[in-house]
Amino acid sequence: MQKINRNVVLALLSLTSLVFLLFQLCYYKFYLSQKNGAAFSKVRGSQSGQDSTRWHVVRKFLGLISSHNIPVYLIDPLILGLINKDIEQIRSSPDGPSPECKYFCAPRDFTTFALLDKTWKHEVGLFRTAEKMGFQWLKIINKDPRLDGMDDLSGMEIPLHYIFKLASHAIHLVVFYERSGNFLWHGPLRLKQHMDRKFVPFRKLHFGRYPGAYEKPELLLVSIDDLKVQIPKNPSSFLQEMSHSRFLECRYREARAFFQLYPDDASLDAVEFRKKAKSLLHLAALTLNNLGVKFWLSSGTCLGWYRQCNVIPHSKDVDLGIFIRDYKADIIPAFQKAGLPLKHKFGKVEDSLELSFQGEDDVKLDIFFFYEEDDHIWNGGTQAKSGKKFKYLFPKFTLCWTEFVELKVHVPCETQQYVEANYGPEWKVPVKMWDWKSSPSNVQDNGVWPVDEWDEVIQIY
Amino acid sequence: MDEWKPNPVVKPHKKRSWYLAWKYKLMNQRALRKLCQTGAVLFLLVTVIVNIKLILDTRRAAYEEEEESAQDYDDEMLNVEVPRHPVNNKKVLDVEVYSSRSKVYVAVDGTTVLEDEAREQGRGIHVIVLNQATGHVMAKRVFDTYSPHEDEAMVLFLNMVARGRILIFTIKDEGSFHLKETAKNVLKSLGSQVAPFLSWRDMWTFVGKKGGEVYGEKHAKSPALSTWGDPVLLKTEVHLTSVEDAECHWPDTELNRRRKRFCSKVEGYGSVCSCKDPTPIEFNPDPLKDNKVFDVPVAVIAGNRPNYLYRMLRSLLSAQGVNPQMITVFIDGYYEEPMDVVELFGLSGIQHTPISIKNARVSQHYKASLTATFNLFPEAKFAVVLEEDLDISVDFFSFLSQSIHLLEEDESLYCISAWNDQGYEHTAEDPSLLYRVETMPGLGWVLRKSLYKDELEPKWPTPEKLWDWDMWMRMPEQRKGRECIIPDISRSYHFGIVGLNMNGYFHEAYFKKHKFNTVPNVQLKNVESLRKDNYETEIHRLLGEAEVLDHSKNPCEDSFVPDTEGRVYVMFIRMEQEADFTTWTQLAKCLHIWDLDVRGNHKGLWRLFRKKNHFLVVGVPASPYSSKKPSSVTPIYMEPPAKEEGAVAVPAVAAAEQT
Repeated sequence: MQKINRNVVLALLSLTSLVFLLFQLCYYKFYLSQKNGAAFSKVRGSQSGQDSTRWHVVRKFLGLISSHNIPVYLIDPLILGLINKDIEQIRSSPDGPSPECKYFCAPRDFTTFALLDKTWKHEVGLFRTAEKMGFQWLKIINKDPRLDGMDDLSGMEIPLHYIFKLASHAIHLVVFYERSGNFLWHGPLRLKQHMDRKFVPFRKLHFGRYPGAYEKPELLLVSIDDLKVQIPKNPSSFLQEMSHSRFLECRYREARAFFQLYPDDASLDAVEFRKKAKSLLHLAALTLNNLGVKFWLSSGTCLGWYRQCNVIPHSKDVDLGIFIRDYKADIIPAFQKAGLPLKHKFGKVEDSLELSFQGEDDVKLDIFFFYEEDDHIWNGGTQAKSGKKFKYLFPKFTLCWTEFVELKVHVPCETQQYVEANYGPEWKVPVKMWDWKSSPSNVQDNGVWPVDEWDEVIQIY
Repeated sequence: MDEWKPNPVVKPHKKRSWYLAWKYKLMNQRALRKLCQTGAVLFLLVTVIVNIKLILDTRRAAYEEEEESAQDYDDEMLNVEVPRHPVNNKKVLDVEVYSSRSKVYVAVDGTTVLEDEAREQGRGIHVIVLNQATGHVMAKRVFDTYSPHEDEAMVLFLNMVARGRILIFTIKDEGSFHLKETAKNVLKSLGSQVAPFLSWRDMWTFVGKKGGEVYGEKHAKSPALSTWGDPVLLKTEVHLTSVEDAECHWPDTELNRRRKRFCSKVEGYGSVCSCKDPTPIEFNPDPLKDNKVFDVPVAVIAGNRPNYLYRMLRSLLSAQGVNPQMITVFIDGYYEEPMDVVELFGLSGIQHTPISIKNARVSQHYKASLTATFNLFPEAKFAVVLEEDLDISVDFFSFLSQSIHLLEEDESLYCISAWNDQGYEHTAEDPSLLYRVETMPGLGWVLRKSLYKDELEPKWPTPEKLWDWDMWMRMPEQRKGRECIIPDISRSYHFGIVGLNMNGYFHEAYFKKHKFNTVPNVQLKNVESLRKDNYETEIHRLLGEAEVLDHSKNPCEDSFVPDTEGRVYVMFIRMEQEADFTTWTQLAKCLHIWDLDVRGNHKGLWRLFRKKNHFLVVGVPASPYSSKKPSSVTPIYMEPPAKEEGAVAVPAVAAAEQT
């Protein structure tokens, strides 16, 4: 009976399939349960049990650190975003009881806190207590960047990040360090070879992809979801700052190699010029920051930072860049008020604006305004005697923070492209003779100013 | 499959099984059968698809997890880890010890742990201490027992070594000339048969356990006074004990864990590693009220003198108002033992690759340390600079807390120093008194950040200039007429005997009798009078009140100063111009104070104590205070001895003397 046989075969096959399918399901479940809880929760989606787990983990963590008198503050962008919506209400009633778990139960894999390094003593006891409370923890240490610029100093490695894991939730504790230039710095999160790469899904962390630079925040003690916690006084400005916090360390090793090839100028003149350039830069930064104008190191000053982590002693001036959209009419009076008279003004806001201020003893502060186009950015130059216009083209760039002569300043993140556009591929070789009209590799002729505009676009004092 | 339902209308026959009924019906209902077959095929297909999906999912999940950490978060720098030595499970160590006139070496399990064949160096008895459980070298010393007193140092050291440790001895060149009875007895008590009879130019090797068995001893007698004994090579085996036996059982605390790590690594620190009653490594001195220097970083400049560093840090951490978090120890070179000491006290330490040689090396080390200090503590306005061979007074921070505002406000100040160059036992008296001096004493001082960053750092002598940093700092180009504030009684004590510019004789002559304050919480007197203009008023007041001494007497004689107490006396010496220190140097010599160069002067005036009276010396006519000299008094002139005993190089004493 062929027909029956076929049926039997089919039925048997179906049965085996079913068994096999069940086995697979079991295996998959088993496989997942071996992974961390976070991955599992990712699959199963958020449930009410999960919500309170987060709250409980945060509460336990806060208990842990307060028992060791360690002042941490909340920097979790998700929660700060939620808090920011109700900030007025939270500020006005800092002790009010919460009707529901509104913030700490929000779905997420981590809660991020910040710790100022100098406010605690690295007690090992903290971790023992943490273990007793059931936390698993991971410490990420690395070289101390504050010693990186120094010839051949090797300090102890410093802790940059801690991760405390309990059940399906993890606390990411970012350690902030004070840097010269009066700002806070946190390091990148890099795993060493022997570390557990699956401890938490590291990619989802909000801090650690890059190092970051922050202003010292003012803190506010608030009570949310029945937990007392410190938060930045102004969460929205903190979140704003966070989105532009990427920090670039100076390339000290390359700078040392540079000085091996071209020994530093240690003459008294060089020392004096560096000192003046430094104080001029400090004054300029103070003035522009007060106005709220974003600026970055440009031209020779940027090259000095990138190539040798210092002011180039034969450069004779300090160069800054500002996007024309950030231009403010107050800039000139503000500098004059700071004791830096206007030396010349070329161009106009609509085209090729460039300001030059006279610093102490012939050290000049040049401010170039940058115009953004679809595929490039440019700034202009003007030759006073002929009225000729020049255009310097740069590939598009974003801004990063860095530390330079004890100052937190912006530089283009894509520094090498920027420097190369300006100085060509040979930028590593010092050039003492520099003609701003012909030497830059990105210069273009841009016509001549109409003679009737000269009074406006060529002002020399 | 779900769609298919057995036809409810047709009931299965009772006697037949459900399956047969089903089969029967299928056979009879063609359409239904077809449906069922298609269903089964579909089901099979679904299973296959689900299977494939599952496999893919699992793969991807695993891959993602790998990726997740692999990409951005990988340490870019390849972690070059030194391959660890495999844990030594061996219970026996092979030890080789060689002793000869010109060379000694010790090899443990084939690894050379000591080799010295340098000429005119390393004479005497070399001692190596091994951990009895791990075989690690815990201490290496050489005692030049050809010279006097070195045997006492050896006895001291051997007494400090914990029981059970393995001791290895070997002689290079000569080790018996000043090896006294006591020392020989100690060696005998360790089990040496030969030690009591060791004599001139004998070669000797010995391996034994402190307070236990002897593993071997070899000896070669010198046949004659003019020749050395034959080289001896001792090969022996040492049985290791278990780690538990080699360690003390202190209560498990954070402090004791540090202690344990330290004590299993190094030897020769005495009671800190005592099992029964270990000396504390945390001191918790009283905090200072209104401590103005709590946030001032402290840089300890160190070389490879771990025993000094140990003593120094003990005294520093016992000083009232100390803030251990602000302390950083800068070690010149990759030395392990100083770092072990730093870690024992739970402080942070930084090692510095040596640049240049001798004095220039010290100078570069200073620069790197100071720069690093201000980098690590960017908010600090000052830094306290200490060296590893200083004892720190109990009121060191209290002294600074009371005076630091002057350094902030008075631009004419160069530094505050804890050291008075002229403050000897017989010339310093008043712990509450401060001076202004034109010299930079160093030896525990406070540096203003702006001075360092704006003036010193950019001009700091480069490595090829073999300058002393302190000499350089004292040069007029740097000092620019500014002064330092110092106490009458020093708040630091220089105990270093071994050093770059230091030896036992020199130390005994110039440092041993230095006065050191031991009184806590001294309230400083009239701190405001130390400001530039106030100080002049103060000096004029003092000179006005001072009694002029009898200038016909010899100022070197004790009787020059009357036997009184608490009076102010003044004497006038000849000083033709600002740099004429002929008479002062002679006076300093006979008063047994610092005479190697001029220290402690302020506008041609020196202030010190004699017989508990304040004693002022004014150089006439160079000093502006010359006007206070009564016309009847002729300034004393003292001639330098006719024959100079060769050119005496002035050693730079304040530098950290690294060996």
